[in-house]
Amino acid sequence: MNTLQIGHLPGIDPAPAQWQDLPGLDLEPDHRLQVPALTPEQLQALCEHLRGPGRQALRTLPVREIIDAIDATIHVLLETGSEAHQTLLHWLPRVTGFSAEMVRINLNATLRTYRAPQLQRFVWEDFGSAELLDGFAPHVTGGLTHAEGAALLTHVWAGNVPGLPLWSLISGLLVKAGNLGKVSAGEPVLASVFARTLARLSPVLGDACAVLWWDRQDEATARTVWAASEAVIAFGGDEALAGLQRQMPPGVRFLPHGHKISFGAIGCEALSATRAPRMARLAAEDVVRHEQQGCYSPQVFYVERGAQTTPQEFAERLAAELQQLATRFPRPPPGLAEAAQIAQWRSRLEWSPEVTLIGQPEHGWSVALHAQPLALGPGPLHRCVQVVAIDALEALPQWLAPRRRHLQTAGLAVAPERLQPLALRLAECGVTRVCALGHMPLPAPGWHNDGRPSLLDLVNLVDLEASTEALSEGLAGYEV
Amino acid sequence: MVTPSTGLTQTLLDFIALPQADEAAFNALALRLFAHQVQHNAAYGRFCRARGRTPATVRRWQDIPAVPVNGFKELTLSCVPPEDCERVFTTSGTTREVKGRHFHPHLQVWNASMRRHFADSVGPLPVRMGILFPSEAEMPNSSLAHYLQIALQDHGLAGSRQLMNTEGLDSVALLALVQQAQTDGQPLALLGATYSFVHLMDALPEADLRLPAGSWLLDTGGFKGRSREIPMEAFYAQLSATFGVPRERCLNMYGMTELSSQFYDAGNARVPSVKRAPHWMRTRAVDPLTGQSVPDGQPGILVHTDLANLNSVTTILTEDVGIVTDGGFALLGRAEGAQAKGCSLAVEDFVQAASA
Repeated sequence: MNTLQIGHLPGIDPAPAQWQDLPGLDLEPDHRLQVPALTPEQLQALCEHLRGPGRQALRTLPVREIIDAIDATIHVLLETGSEAHQTLLHWLPRVTGFSAEMVRINLNATLRTYRAPQLQRFVWEDFGSAELLDGFAPHVTGGLTHAEGAALLTHVWAGNVPGLPLWSLISGLLVKAGNLGKVSAGEPVLASVFARTLARLSPVLGDACAVLWWDRQDEATARTVWAASEAVIAFGGDEALAGLQRQMPPGVRFLPHGHKISFGAIGCEALSATRAPRMARLAAEDVVRHEQQGCYSPQVFYVERGAQTTPQEFAERLAAELQQLATRFPRPPPGLAEAAQIAQWRSRLEWSPEVTLIGQPEHGWSVALHAQPLALGPGPLHRCVQVVAIDALEALPQWLAPRRRHLQTAGLAVAPERLQPLALRLAECGVTRVCALGHMPLPAPGWHNDGRPSLLDLVNLVDLEASTEALSEGLAGYEV
Repeated sequence: MVTPSTGLTQTLLDFIALPQADEAAFNALALRLFAHQVQHNAAYGRFCRARGRTPATVRRWQDIPAVPVNGFKELTLSCVPPEDCERVFTTSGTTREVKGRHFHPHLQVWNASMRRHFADSVGPLPVRMGILFPSEAEMPNSSLAHYLQIALQDHGLAGSRQLMNTEGLDSVALLALVQQAQTDGQPLALLGATYSFVHLMDALPEADLRLPAGSWLLDTGGFKGRSREIPMEAFYAQLSATFGVPRERCLNMYGMTELSSQFYDAGNARVPSVKRAPHWMRTRAVDPLTGQSVPDGQPGILVHTDLANLNSVTTILTEDVGIVTDGGFALLGRAEGAQAKGCSLAVEDFVQAASA
């Protein structure tokens, strides 16, 4: 159990002889994660296999069978007795620093979004039916269209939230693309375990996806992979994504998912004496789940004035909830650099006359209450959250505008009559997802990550125009 | 000028002039300065009271609250009104960024500190010098320009000169100075910003810059995004090869605008080198959240207590990661290892904001 080999390399024969320790991880001395070191020939062979035989076999499967195979794999990963599940529980806390309890509840919640009914919704959401993926589907107005997955879809994953790679890898499989995933050194485990389990249960699917790692400096590997790719989906910071974009050969579809910022907004109607405690609890859960590291995790809560519970009281309740959650889910000790950032963030707020800082550095959380509205901004994560008093949530757009390009989720707690008008205003500002407070780190299956379709971006829509049918009718053997 | 600190100034000058100082003497003066600063530096007084640490409760210099360096940006950390200060040193940065400000009512203590530790740590002195940094006249708010000015005035032999201005490196003057040294065999010392050495080596890749025996180099400040970043090992290897100066004589000075004293290593034959403080300065490595010292030999965020920081605060929390060792500390780098959190904007942006 103490050495885990990362990676899944279909079509490479013989198996790679060289394994190297994955750098940059802070594991116990007797724990090692190893990644394969491929020769240029092996890498080339891998890409050709994925584009060629691997994908060809996958293309012959109807979407329904692909969904069933993924569902069976997810089932094994969820099963507490399975070796794969045990491997995940053993390794994920070690590589991510998340507590074992946090990993367990998040893993189950994440995996459950990839069961068969959810995957069906995934497909139906973007294509209306699976027919488009399995063949040509007719248009009412004539002609047909087929969705052809990328010959090779390359995934560049980030390590901030375990489970993130599954979303794009499963999307790639659903559209019958050949898939090559580059894991992040920050969380290399889940994608690798998933791919290996998948390959065991369904060799055809396993043959159409590879998981590996290469160093960011290894330009030769990157060049080979980009040259073989038809589309590249990448997660990371703005700078890293800009660097990747520059490397893309012409014609490669580049699908970046950059850093994002999310917030909660709590209306007066949710702040009565009876409702406010529950809202504070939901807000605290959104902060604690994934340790605020997700694009969908809240950095700020905007709290409306004029209710029974004042923003100040809400901030204090939130602090109390965070304190309570800390006993069941203790904050993973931040690294030295992160701790320094938290200290600097705290002292900066402390020096501001508009801010009340709740919580001591050793509490494992910090709540900063701002008496005046301020623009949405990031914090140092690790359960450091700001509560901002605001007269009316309808005034939010001006405080969100500076972050337009980076906005993602708004977690709302408002009355029904305000919901759609407010959501529409937020959409206008650049928010791409609105959900309930308490659901921020739990996006619905088939969600449009960063406002983009999950599957449509991964395919070419191939039109078979009506003229073809008409002409071909005249060329039939029975025609004289 | 009579300021609340006139008496302390003389005490400090006397302290700096001592051959050495023991722990008790250091502690006593640190606590005296702490009391002075809590009383006269309003922002610092609030900072300390919020932490429940005041002269009434603090008995050891290690318990003096450390101000994060960005406090020099956000607050006015001065015991006398800023307008009564002879000089303000500001941190480097673009014009758009908020700069840290360090107010000095006078520079007597700063100068005495610089002179004493410089003379004890570098050399041989005097020497012919080339300064790879703009002059003090061009950059009056740069503590490094002031530092180099004193070095040049006090220890520069005939022929010493400035080799840079705010426009950049004067290659012609540099080559002339190096050729003169090669001809007459007199040692030359080149002092300046780390990134200036990189610019120099990049600008003159073909030139023969080997210096005569006895020459030495002093770089400071790191790359600061102003030149390409080179790993320390490669930087000193290239520096040594380019100038023909053994790595033992490639010195590094660690200084900060927020301090009034400097640290020196004894060359960079091995990196990271150990930086040493004078007897009026102490360094701890701490857990930045609790402020508690980490065990010796463990990495922590560096906190410096500099008694020469008479007018501001003696104790500052840096953004540097280091290991405290016997007699000094080894610098491991800047504390900015948190960017890898994929999907969240926060850390990357925050680092930018924090370094702004």
